[in-house]
Amino acid sequence: MNPYDLLPRFKAQYDANSQEFSISGVVRPQAIDELGPSIALLRDAIGRVRGVLYVNVRRLTQMNNAAFHAFSRIILDACRARPDLKFIVITSSVVGWTSRKFGRLSGIEPNITVEEYDSEFYPGQGFLEEGGFVPILRTQTKMTWRHERAILPRHGMRPGIVMADICCGIGDFAVLVQKEFQPSRIVALDHSRSSLAYARNVAAEFDIKGIEYTYGDASEMLLEENQFDLVTCRHSLQVFNKPELILRELFRICKPGGRVYITNEKNSHCLGEPRADSIQWTYNEVAKLWAHFQMDIELGPKSKRYLTEAGLEDIRVESFMVTNHDGDPQDFADVIAAWENVYAGEMATKRGDTPAFIRRFRQGFQDHIFAALHSKGYAGWPIWVASGRKPL
Amino acid sequence: MGTVHHHLAGESAFEPMIQIDMEIKAFVSAWKHCDYVSTYMARMVSRNRSDSVRHSNLFSSAFNELLEVAFRTRHADGELACRVSRHGATDRIELTFPCVPEERQFYEQAVSLVAGSEVRERYLNSVSGDLAPSREVVLLELAMDYNATLRVEEADGDAIKLVVDLPLEGLH
Ligand SMILES: C[S@@+](CC[C@H](N)C(=O)[O-])C[C@H]1O[C@@H](n2cnc3c(N)ncnc32)[C@H](O)[C@@H]1O
Repeated sequence: MNPYDLLPRFKAQYDANSQEFSISGVVRPQAIDELGPSIALLRDAIGRVRGVLYVNVRRLTQMNNAAFHAFSRIILDACRARPDLKFIVITSSVVGWTSRKFGRLSGIEPNITVEEYDSEFYPGQGFLEEGGFVPILRTQTKMTWRHERAILPRHGMRPGIVMADICCGIGDFAVLVQKEFQPSRIVALDHSRSSLAYARNVAAEFDIKGIEYTYGDASEMLLEENQFDLVTCRHSLQVFNKPELILRELFRICKPGGRVYITNEKNSHCLGEPRADSIQWTYNEVAKLWAHFQMDIELGPKSKRYLTEAGLEDIRVESFMVTNHDGDPQDFADVIAAWENVYAGEMATKRGDTPAFIRRFRQGFQDHIFAALHSKGYAGWPIWVASGRKPL
Repeated sequence: MGTVHHHLAGESAFEPMIQIDMEIKAFVSAWKHCDYVSTYMARMVSRNRSDSVRHSNLFSSAFNELLEVAFRTRHADGELACRVSRHGATDRIELTFPCVPEERQFYEQAVSLVAGSEVRERYLNSVSGDLAPSREVVLLELAMDYNATLRVEEADGDAIKLVVDLPLEGLH
């Protein structure tokens, strides 16, 4: 039997606590009876709620007109029968057609509003998502690549594979992988349109073919399951308040037998000599600052736990230290200066830190730079690499 | 009203990308063929679009509706041919399938409505109406939600050819 026939193509759910009806997947029935249970669930939900019913279609990837009509019919009828009730349809900016199509409903019934879900809902992410981080990411990737190019083959990287780089940022990693390992296909996904535009420009400028940059939300991707031999997600689990939701998606799109590869930091372990104490104090504070915004820059050593809990097996963990001795010490210094800029600038201000605190906070970064550029100095930034295999 | 012919400038600039032909009998033997064919073709033609995943999702969505239209043909003999070609940001779907004379007339009329000025109103009326969506609504929706332009072309025998231009690459 064709596996296609066995797969449930869509799922409808109702959560009474949040008064939310959600439908996800591919809904392409031939006849409306195929939707019977879901339609009944929606009717039932309408019967129970007070005030607002949320209709969540964020993970709805396809819905034919027949199904759309059937569901809208019920909502439109309910608007007429129950003027006290409001409907809020939540679409995703990632699925191109949903906002347009569902948006029409609000033109028919004012009690229906359509909201496009946006990444702003992630705490603290705004700092990292748009603009400011681009130059740092470039230099960071250059520095980590020196180590990772040797490490990657131990985690499933090899020529000819199909891979995805999720939260790809400006795409440098994908480009480096393409050149070094020649995978047959790379899909690179991020939720920052400006980073993707940048990545596409770079690819066009250097005539790099074969990397498919795509706009998406890592926690709910349009990518189909069981597609990739290697799914990488670098320096990004640590920016989410619920990394396990991202991991679930990385796991889903990975082929059975393929590997999920993550890199993360433990910033409080950044170090330097001389001025070790000041440096250490500041990076301890970085960890607290990130935690304040519900992000975990200490995630690195927790990788094994996360990968295990995601259902992966054969977990391999290693770590490496990026230092001022690897390459040009000025690169190291530039990265630290950029961190200072964002952490002691926008983020500390947003948290409401005092000028005295910010002064001391900045000093540690300055001392780290001092150590990096000092002829007898040492400056380090540790990274944890981990991967696990999806069971067959 | 007769078959509409447009001879757009630069018509030949459309580069063929992929074509699938099958017996209409085989096609209508299972509903899931619409989904299969639309998903497969969408994946194939989207690889070199600036956002392959998004393009593929949109393309599949629009194409599936057309295939569902063809699926409901009342003429049980002949060939279904789907061809996709490309010119810049626009993908052209040419869908040829057998139909009975009344259906042909119906499509010609529907397509001329899509080119008309009341597309939005008609579409909204039909969504808020009680009837299940007609094949006309499907075509209206393509124009509304995907900025598609449609036309009908002559095809050999008892067949019709729907030509749909989808400027998905520029759609926001
Ligand atoms: C710290 S950066 C890491 C970028 C890149 N992997 C690297 O190593 O340079 C985190 C990235 O996650 C992206 N991101 C944040 N939220 C996302 C989401 N919901 N879906 C996809 N990407 C997201 C950001 O746009 C940013 O590019």
